[in-house]
Formats: sequence, structure tokens, C-alpha cells
Amino acid sequence: MRSIKKELIRGTIDMIPLIVAVIPWGVLVGAYGVESGLGAFKTQMLSLTVFAGTSQLVAIGMIQAGAGFISILVTTLLITSRHVLYSLALRDKIKVLPLHWRTALGFLLTDELFVNTQREDQPFNRWYALGAGLSFYIAWNLSTLIGIIAGSAIPDLTQIGLDFAVVATFIAILVPMVKSSSILTCVIVSTAVSVFCATQNMQSGLLLAIAAGMLAGYTTYTARRLK
Amino acid sequence: MNFWLLITGMAVAVFISRYLFLEPRLPLKLNDKALRILSYSAPAVLAAVIGPLVFTTEGQLNTDPANPYLLGAVLAVILMKFTGNTLLTAIISMVVFMLIR
Repeated sequence: MRSIKKELIRGTIDMIPLIVAVIPWGVLVGAYGVESGLGAFKTQMLSLTVFAGTSQLVAIGMIQAGAGFISILVTTLLITSRHVLYSLALRDKIKVLPLHWRTALGFLLTDELFVNTQREDQPFNRWYALGAGLSFYIAWNLSTLIGIIAGSAIPDLTQIGLDFAVVATFIAILVPMVKSSSILTCVIVSTAVSVFCATQNMQSGLLLAIAAGMLAGYTTYTARRLK
Repeated sequence: MNFWLLITGMAVAVFISRYLFLEPRLPLKLNDKALRILSYSAPAVLAAVIGPLVFTTEGQLNTDPANPYLLGAVLAVILMKFTGNTLLTAIISMVVFMLIR
């Protein structure tokens, strides 16, 4: 029992930098939902059930623009498809767990939870992962709520650059990860492809960029070993 | 359009993409090559998410040195290199970003 609690707390504490980063992002989603006319309840329900920031932001924008059901769903699939890679990377660790654990950790498997499991140096622990994922889920929903409340009170809250929090924190996590030339190549290629896709307004850009970065990293790795 | 049908569809789509390969009945064995490729996924994800935020403004490439996102990002890289502290780097660069934008 004692070690369960300890692991839950350790997961929560390790997640703090990512929670700090997601607060402004959640506030942005909450404020945007209210500003777009979707309403407080529906905006909060998106955070409670979909639990995917980028998908939520894009969907709110598309609903406001009057897009159809199918096009919003296809866009969601394109944006969310990168998560398949995380389930693949964590497959050997999680597939051996019972169904309720797989379901819970699958639901909580965000970019942030995945990144946290990758930079953690201890062996995989389900309670640790649950602590990290659950604290992040709670933070996401509370910050959405703050955004809903603040967005109703403060106009133009969505225009003050809250998204920079993601940039700052992701860079702080990324820099120590770059330990070899193959990882550096991966980062440069992934960045370049994502920027190109963004200028072409491609919804699948995120997945393409990630795949290109991974292949570039692997190619550099094998090329260096052949020398 | 029915919002509740949409939100259900979105939740299911996101959940399936996150759960897919956690399912043991899916016949798939990862070899060393696949695991090596997958080891690059975390840095690739982080770079792909921040790339467009830093280098584009409303869908246009923006490498103007006065772009506050670009300046803030450069500051964050430098801070992290020198301090090695995640939280400190994130907070200082956020504050500086808010001041210069």
C-alpha cells in the first residue's frame, strides 16, 4: 500500500513541469470555447471526454466555422493519429497489464505522459504512470474551467500568447534529450517538416513530421555505425 | 449538427489511437530495429509540436528576429543549456516572452 502511494506521488511530482506548461494551454481552450459561442458546459465536456488539446482547439474552430460532422471527425483522426506511435512504443510494458489498467493508461496517454515515461530512468511502474496521467488529467480540466471563467470575464484572453507556455516547457524537456548527432538530426528534420506542413495547412503535418524525424534519426544512427 | 454525436466520435477516435497497440490480442512483435526507430519518437514529437508555434505566424513562415516566439524559444534553449533546470527555464522564458511581445 505504502509503495502504491509513493509511486502515485512520484508520478505526480515528475509531471509538475508538464502541468505548469499545460495550464495556459488549458486556459486557452476554455476561453476559446466560450469566445466561439460553444458554451461553458460543452467546452468542459470536450476536456473531460476527448482530453486532447490540439484536437479540441481545432474542433472548436471548425464548429464555429460551420464545418460538417465528417470533416471534423477526419481532422480529429489526422491530428490524433500520432498517439498510435506512443501505444506502439509502450506496447511491451502495458500489453501485459489487465484490461482496466490498459484502458485507464490508454485514455491518459497524452503527448506529455508519453514524454514523461520516455525521460524517466526507472523501470516502468503502473502506479507511477497512473499518478502522472491522472494528475495531468485533473490539471487539464481545472485549467479548462479557469479558461471558461476567465474567458467570460476578460475579452481577448485567447490573443495574449498563452501557447508560448508549450514552447518554453517542451524546449526545456527537449534540450537534455539531445545527446547524440542522430537525435539532433531527428529534431531538425521533425521541426523542418512540421513547419513546412503548417505553412501548407496540412492537418496530418504533425504525424508526417514525427515519422520523418524518427526515420532521419534512425538513418543517421545506422550510417554512423557503418563508418 | 449534433454536438453530442460529434464529441462521442472524437472521444472514440482519440481513445482508439491511444489504445491500439496496448491491446495484447493484436498480433505484433517488435524487433530491435522497430524499437530503435521508436526511441526517436519523444524528441520528434516535442520538435513537431513546437516547430510551427515558433516559426510560423497565422500559417506563414516567420523567421523575423523580432518574432517573440522565436526569441523566447532561443532564450529557452540557452537557459536550459546553462541551468539544466526544467521548471526555472520554462518560467523565466514565459515571463520574458510576456514582457517582449
